[in-house]
Amino acid sequence: MPVTPFRWFITASGSYAMIRQPIPAWLFWSLAVSGIVVAIAIYAGMSVYQTRINPTQSVIPGLKGFAEGFDLITKPRGNDKNPKPSWLVTDSKVTFSRLFIGMGLGTIAAIVLGIAMGAYTGVEAFFSPIISFMAKIPPTGMLVIYMVAFGTNFKMFIALIGFGIFFTMVQSIYQSVKKDVASDHIDKAYTLGASEFEVVLEVIWKQILPRVIDNIRLHIGPALVFLIAAEMLFASEGFGYTIRQSQRFSNMNVVYIYLGILGTVGLLLDYGLMRFRRWLCPWFGE
Amino acid sequence: MAANPTALEIRDLSHWFGDFRVLNHINLRIAAGQIVALVGPSGCGKSTLLKAILGTQPPSEGSVLVDGQEILAPSRRVGIVFQHYSLFDFLTAEANVAFGPKLDETSVAFRTFQFPQWRKLRKQHMQEAREFLERVKLAEACGKYPTELSGGMRQRVAIAQALILKPKILLLDEPFGALDEATRERLQMMLLGFYQENLLATKEGRTPEYTIVIVTHELNEAIYVANRVIGLSRFHDDGDQGAMVVYDRPCPIFHPDDPKDLADFVEQREELRRAVFDPSYIKHHSKYVSFWQDLEAAEAAVGPIES
Ligand SMILES: Nc1ncnc2c1ncn2[C@@H]1O[C@H](COP(=O)(O)OP(=O)(O)OP(=O)(O)O)[C@@H](O)[C@H]1O
Ligand SMILES: [Mg+2]
Repeated sequence: MPVTPFRWFITASGSYAMIRQPIPAWLFWSLAVSGIVVAIAIYAGMSVYQTRINPTQSVIPGLKGFAEGFDLITKPRGNDKNPKPSWLVTDSKVTFSRLFIGMGLGTIAAIVLGIAMGAYTGVEAFFSPIISFMAKIPPTGMLVIYMVAFGTNFKMFIALIGFGIFFTMVQSIYQSVKKDVASDHIDKAYTLGASEFEVVLEVIWKQILPRVIDNIRLHIGPALVFLIAAEMLFASEGFGYTIRQSQRFSNMNVVYIYLGILGTVGLLLDYGLMRFRRWLCPWFGE
Repeated sequence: MAANPTALEIRDLSHWFGDFRVLNHINLRIAAGQIVALVGPSGCGKSTLLKAILGTQPPSEGSVLVDGQEILAPSRRVGIVFQHYSLFDFLTAEANVAFGPKLDETSVAFRTFQFPQWRKLRKQHMQEAREFLERVKLAEACGKYPTELSGGMRQRVAIAQALILKPKILLLDEPFGALDEATRERLQMMLLGFYQENLLATKEGRTPEYTIVIVTHELNEAIYVANRVIGLSRFHDDGDQGAMVVYDRPCPIFHPDDPKDLADFVEQREELRRAVFDPSYIKHHSKYVSFWQDLEAAEAAVGPIES
């Protein structure tokens, strides 16, 4: 019987498609690349089809549309007398400073309270009911309160992201202090001459550090959700604002590019933090 | 024996958890250089007693004196090796061993604001840590993390970690419980080696370096590595009031090179099993508590012997 591609596929899938069976590296990477190629091909197909129906369509832009969109966002604004940076530069500055400062403050506060709650039963008793309750309120719903408290300015976005990740992060950090740090370890540290502060700094903190980093990684997604939603509603610059405006003016090419940038930045941050964790805490494993 | 100073003294120690009394008037004196096995039924309060000696869980009543000073909080005078969680996961073997000198000799402020001096001192600590790892025959494991070590290696690192601070007494809470037979035997040999060093020190008029209390479930191990076995149990005439010392007698100790013949242990093992582990054998609790008298009798017979 001749070996047709169909027959090859059946044989190959017979030996390779079993649950959890490893596959050869070449197959793994070809599949990974194919996934991306297929996604692009489907998009391109839809774009060509749409353009055939309506040659002036901008809903599913092609290469030319993307090139125009790219020009649009990188073109410096303003006039000679009063030059302004391009959309991309302004929006990146605004959005990422909101993101990083909000996440930074939220994380620092969560670490401090999380360790205090995990270490001291009194602090745990005082805070845990209110923290559990607050963690269940959708942060985007709280946006109105931050707006009343701070107005629609920088502080509001910081509060939204900071508090948005704070409550759930406190919960997982304090659980981690309670579960990952054995009492025997704490006793041992005392017998080795540690002060109470050294137990926190040299034992508890070191032990939970990889969990904290993984926690930050997990919270990048939600933080971006809160931020982009808030920018769409209340901002006058930033990624969320520009996406919303571009959609209004049917500049879908800009929308797609911006979404692509957000996805890429999220992915890079996640990957960077993972590498950072592996470098900083080699004992923690993968 | 009599020449060696008292390392640990427990006076009238009792402990309650709520209304439940675990320990009932424990009195004990352990001389420097003794290797003491502590045995008893599960849940009788061995770990509780160790925690009182350690100072992490002060007793409800009574006191613990190490080297003549009362233990009120954990300190470098008492070292411990736990069965699990004996090492800090986030430190390499040598950093684990150097952790004691770091915490004991320096403060956060010193390490932060006098960083250059700290780095110099750190190098000495690491050097010292490597020497202690060599003592437990683990020179090759220096840079490894606990997860990369076998169970036996981890326990040896933990022993080095405790020994580096030169504690007056070292507590081992079922240190070899999770190890396979061969590894266990190697570690027992190590303890016997420490005992030989103690004998040498006594002979030369120095205070022996290793005073050890080892909790074990294995009666053969108790008799093999220790020169004194203490049994803790509720099975005595005042048992409702918590565990007491119901057995305290010398036992033969071996040279690491001696053949280990389990037949030698049979008699004492049976005695222990009856006196400490048999619930139906209720008796006056002091019948087998005769370590110091036994020792005197032996010394009267053959002249001074080392404990
Ligand atoms: N923190 C605690 N709170 C209440 N009860 C406790 C506590 N710690 C121990 N106990 C009880 O005290 C008794 C003695 O416990 P301990 O751990 O000292 O026993 P043990 O002799 O070390 O046992 P094992 O051989 O199983 O390790 C047990 O009945 C135990 O349930
Ligand atoms: Mg125990």
